[in-house]
Amino acid sequence: MIAKLLSRLLIFVLGLALGTLGPWLWWLDREAGHRFAERQWTQASRVYARPLELYPGLALGPDDLVIEMQAAGLQSGNPQDIGRFQRRGAGLDIHVPGFSFPDTTQPPQRVQLEFSGNQVSAVRGENDTAARLLRLPPAELGNLMPLDDRDRTLVALADFPPLLVTGIQAVEDRQFNHHHGIDPRGMLRAAWANLRHGQVVQGGSTITQQLVKNLFLEPDRKLLRKFNEAIMAISLERRFGKAEILEAYLNEVYLGQDGATAIHGFGRASEHYFGLPVQALSPDQIALLVGMARGASWYHPIRNPERAKARRDRVLGMFFETGLIDSTTHDRSVARPLDIQSDRQRRSRRHGEFLDLVARQLRRDYRDRDLRDTGLRIFTTLAPSAQSHAERALTESLPRVEASPDELQGAIVLVEPASGEVRALVGDRRPGQRGFNRALDARRSVGSVIKPFVYLLALAQPDRFNLVTPLQDQPISVPIAGQPDWQPRNYDGQSHGEVPLLDALAHSYNQATVHLGLDVGLADLFRLLRQLGVEPGSDPHPSAFLGALSLTPMQVAQLYQPLAAEGYSTPLRAITQVVDSDGQAIGRYPMRMRPIRDREALALLDYALRQAVTDGTARSLSWRLQSDPGVRGKTGTTNDLRDAWFVGYTRDWLGVVWTGRDDHAAANISGAATAVPVWATLFDQLPLTEQPTHWPESIEWYWVDWPTPLLAAEECPGARAVPFIAGSQPDELSPCLNSSQRSRWRRGGR
Amino acid sequence: MYRLPTSFPKALSIVLFASLMVACATPPPASVEDDAVAERVRAPTPEEPRGLQIRPLQNPAVAELTEAARQAEEDDDLERAELLLERALRIEPRDPELLQHLAEVSFNQQDWEQAESHASRSFDVGPRVGELCRRNWQTIAMAREQMGYRHSAELARERLEACRVEPPPRY
Repeated sequence: MIAKLLSRLLIFVLGLALGTLGPWLWWLDREAGHRFAERQWTQASRVYARPLELYPGLALGPDDLVIEMQAAGLQSGNPQDIGRFQRRGAGLDIHVPGFSFPDTTQPPQRVQLEFSGNQVSAVRGENDTAARLLRLPPAELGNLMPLDDRDRTLVALADFPPLLVTGIQAVEDRQFNHHHGIDPRGMLRAAWANLRHGQVVQGGSTITQQLVKNLFLEPDRKLLRKFNEAIMAISLERRFGKAEILEAYLNEVYLGQDGATAIHGFGRASEHYFGLPVQALSPDQIALLVGMARGASWYHPIRNPERAKARRDRVLGMFFETGLIDSTTHDRSVARPLDIQSDRQRRSRRHGEFLDLVARQLRRDYRDRDLRDTGLRIFTTLAPSAQSHAERALTESLPRVEASPDELQGAIVLVEPASGEVRALVGDRRPGQRGFNRALDARRSVGSVIKPFVYLLALAQPDRFNLVTPLQDQPISVPIAGQPDWQPRNYDGQSHGEVPLLDALAHSYNQATVHLGLDVGLADLFRLLRQLGVEPGSDPHPSAFLGALSLTPMQVAQLYQPLAAEGYSTPLRAITQVVDSDGQAIGRYPMRMRPIRDREALALLDYALRQAVTDGTARSLSWRLQSDPGVRGKTGTTNDLRDAWFVGYTRDWLGVVWTGRDDHAAANISGAATAVPVWATLFDQLPLTEQPTHWPESIEWYWVDWPTPLLAAEECPGARAVPFIAGSQPDELSPCLNSSQRSRWRRGGR
Repeated sequence: MYRLPTSFPKALSIVLFASLMVACATPPPASVEDDAVAERVRAPTPEEPRGLQIRPLQNPAVAELTEAARQAEEDDDLERAELLLERALRIEPRDPELLQHLAEVSFNQQDWEQAESHASRSFDVGPRVGELCRRNWQTIAMAREQMGYRHSAELARERLEACRVEPPPRY
């Protein structure tokens, strides 16, 4: 009777179970298939520095190259391993990692670099052949994180190193190639081990099950979840190939945290922990990451280094047991330290100020969601070695020029003038400080930095002005409606009388400049600034001739760019190219330039700014710089000594330095004493080459003597060679020249 | 009134017109007896780079990029050609051949403004006579024609003719 009852109950339970189980299984099967097929992985967008071309003649010394390599993730070590470099005498032996550039994929390769001074003299590939076109992979500057805060770098199965692909199977799932999603023997073995220890000590999950768990299920150890996981794993195996499942697993497995961001997949983990692409990993590095798949927090190499190393060595042991590595490799790998790039996160945050500029330029063209989720690769113009020098120049120079510690702040913008590419940006004396970005946002009075543009307006009228036109440096009183008269004074409190235009600018005389400014007009000055791409505001007070205008260091760099680029203007840019995750270019920011009118006047101004450096307010550069490849520049100091500027350029670099106090208080600083030393510290570290100046066709040079500017000859006392727009030179001859010749030189009607 | 160009073609025509006007204002060549004084008051254009400049005759990286750009042009991939030439220009920003090459690629991309700009810059940094000079002004003239600036295109053609003669002597 009881037996009958029991059997009926059993049948009932079985029927109930089958009745619910059937649809449940069907649903799980369908869900697994759908969700896997439609999975869309978000990828962070990565921002890269400019890739460095390596070629004979490259003006970069070995120390700078090391900075560039370290920024790109290479480390000092045995160059037999990818991503390592070694100094050899005056040369460098480098194993350059592969990289997928927008225009081509460059495989890993080993090269030898030789230097002659601060210049690369030879680049040799394997077998001593001259290396072909070669670029260092660009430094990764930072990421635009996906909205789900999961970071990954997708890698195709074929691109993973074979040891990683076989190794993960040897450690996590040796039956992977044979089972159908679950491994009953493995499960039994794990269950037995867990029973024996009275707690969970071993997991019997296959790689497929782990993938299902990561992709679709909550991370708990409940029995129902295990059941669902097993069914879905079988379903995946039924519908998809082993390769597809393994590739998904390698890209999905959780491998630690970077702040609030979860690191998924071996591609990103490799970049995060070692600063290398996954293809470049050595066996010990592969073993560390493979070991972390079991528990990324538990075996975290920075937080729990000893545990992580023990786990790595155990994994290496398994690699050896299964014949994946030989005993030599095993012993050598076990002997190696963990070699984690612990400063990596810090370094990526150090470029915050430049990334700020990149983000602003990107937001003009892209939606935020596209920027964050779709794995764009953004190639920028930053040069890591120049950035490093710029940061150090500010950090190290300010303490030498300020009255009390930490009183001053500063900013630097460094640009390659011909292309308008921003090579470095510093917005704080403490590099990496996220906050107020002075290079982009500090609007400060520019002082005399504005003067060249007043003089440009004059020189653009060659029938009225040339470089030797006498200007009146005398007291002046300018009536202002509703205000007391404005009476500008010179920096030294003196008036210098009649001075040639050239010297008035080189010595930055205020009164001469105001006289000239009133002649050329305030409205024209504002119009010129707007045409050069800078909005000067709308306060038309004549003090603007002396720089009572507030501009950011970036705006000042934009103003000077055409001067440094010999008359070709281009908007300053931080981005060269945006590439989608498939490697297709979706945004190009090509070199665009526009010849500006009055290039002749600009050439004369360029000469005057050279005089400012050799004889004028910036003459201290002659001893501050080890070599002077023809620097042009202008200092700027504002009233009450609150802001100090120096803008200086060579044909290779344009650098803007601002220093001052954040609270705008008087700081007893000047362009010459405060900003010039910072600028010189930076430029002393940059590779500088001498380049000829290409004067426009209509520029002619004449000997001129003084005090009244007259045409002279080389041997006349005090004669200087001065450029003129042809026809605008003085037509009177100096008494120094032979009088009989003078009568012949004079031409009728001139 | 000082004004920077707001539109590029107009700008160039103004520049060229201005330079021609300037040319008119240039004193006529001094007569024979003035030569002695003319020679004495003229100062030499400063040769700024002092000392010996040592660099390879042609940078192999630039040569290879130029060749790759040529190949890309043959494959009708002008964007790639442009990209490769920009890479080369980052290595040698003042190479007049490269700038002219880029000008010709821009022209084929029907980007007349950039074609004119790059050719003009190539002329500025180039030898200003001979074959390259002719290509510079040829591109400038054709770009201007495409933009509908017939007169300034004509002026460019006249300047092209001057490429045949030697530049005026510098004392």
